[in-house]
Amino acid sequence: MIPVRCFSCGKVIASSWDEYKRRTKDGEEPAQVMDDLGITRYCCRRMLLSHVELIDTLAPYQ
Amino acid sequence: MTMEVDILELSDRSAKFVLSNTTTAFANGIRRAALADVPTLAITEINIYNNTSVLYDEQLGLRLALIPLTSNMEDFIPKEECNCGDFCPACQVSLTLSAEGPGMVYSQDLVSSDDKVQPADPNIPIADLREGQKIVLEAIAQMGYGNKHSRWQAGVACGYKNMPIVEFSGCDQCGKCVTECPVNIIKIGTNSAEISTEDMLKCTLCRLCVGICEIDAIDVKVDEHSFIFTVESDGSYSTKELILNAGSVIKDKATSLSEILSTL
Ligand SMILES: [Zn+2]
Ligand SMILES: [Zn+2]
Repeated sequence: MIPVRCFSCGKVIASSWDEYKRRTKDGEEPAQVMDDLGITRYCCRRMLLSHVELIDTLAPYQ
Repeated sequence: MTMEVDILELSDRSAKFVLSNTTTAFANGIRRAALADVPTLAITEINIYNNTSVLYDEQLGLRLALIPLTSNMEDFIPKEECNCGDFCPACQVSLTLSAEGPGMVYSQDLVSSDDKVQPADPNIPIADLREGQKIVLEAIAQMGYGNKHSRWQAGVACGYKNMPIVEFSGCDQCGKCVTECPVNIIKIGTNSAEISTEDMLKCTLCRLCVGICEIDAIDVKVDEHSFIFTVESDGSYSTKELILNAGSVIKDKATSLSEILSTL
């Protein structure tokens, strides 16, 4: 799961995750999507950019 | 000298303003108060009745705690400052969450017992539930200060820099500083290189222009009494309320200090 807030500055970034995921999947540039979502600092940008969703790997287990 | 505030940008979640005729100590006081001393509401305890999601109870607790909550902040006081002894509507509020998969559970699925207490962002993913997985819990939100835990940190990325002053004297308009400047604010004017008043705010004080200038025509200084502030709110307050609250926190501290001193 995407962390709720940025580790460094504390901005809530999880609320942008769904849109970020959808738009980058559709082929948009991550930089452009993050600019549109108002994620300007590099601390927050790395949160989205480097996140790997592991929930599908873990989903079969409880 | 009276303090001056010149607002450059002001929206619900972020603000940028110039604070002048004051000292670094005061500017830093405002910054620190916004980060650590403005009380907000956040989830501090959860009672889990059922959790068969892939997230551990503790992970779920952390995720819930970091969700900013909006409310009428005057209605609440921090638990340690409340004299009810146990708990009362003034020091805590309960929210419930019950969800069954498949599907994503969002912060908007939290059902609050107080209409005014709501998550600031409705679309924060909490947990991804698969077929048959369930979450049933009660969350207790309390008021607290950012100096205790980041869940209560109302101000996000609050910072300031001194007002830059860049002066050109005896410039031969070679243009090297124009290409060297990483924020592209230096322009060649009629008889010298120049920076407009508006662009001056963008200067990062990197001094690369000073280094590249062969005739030492550029002088980069700062105004020690003027600060460019950026303040962001996590959504629990509007930025305006946040700055006002930070100011009143400092005022309250000064008042209590003078009260203590007057009794000596
Ligand atoms: Zn950040
Ligand atoms: Zn109480």
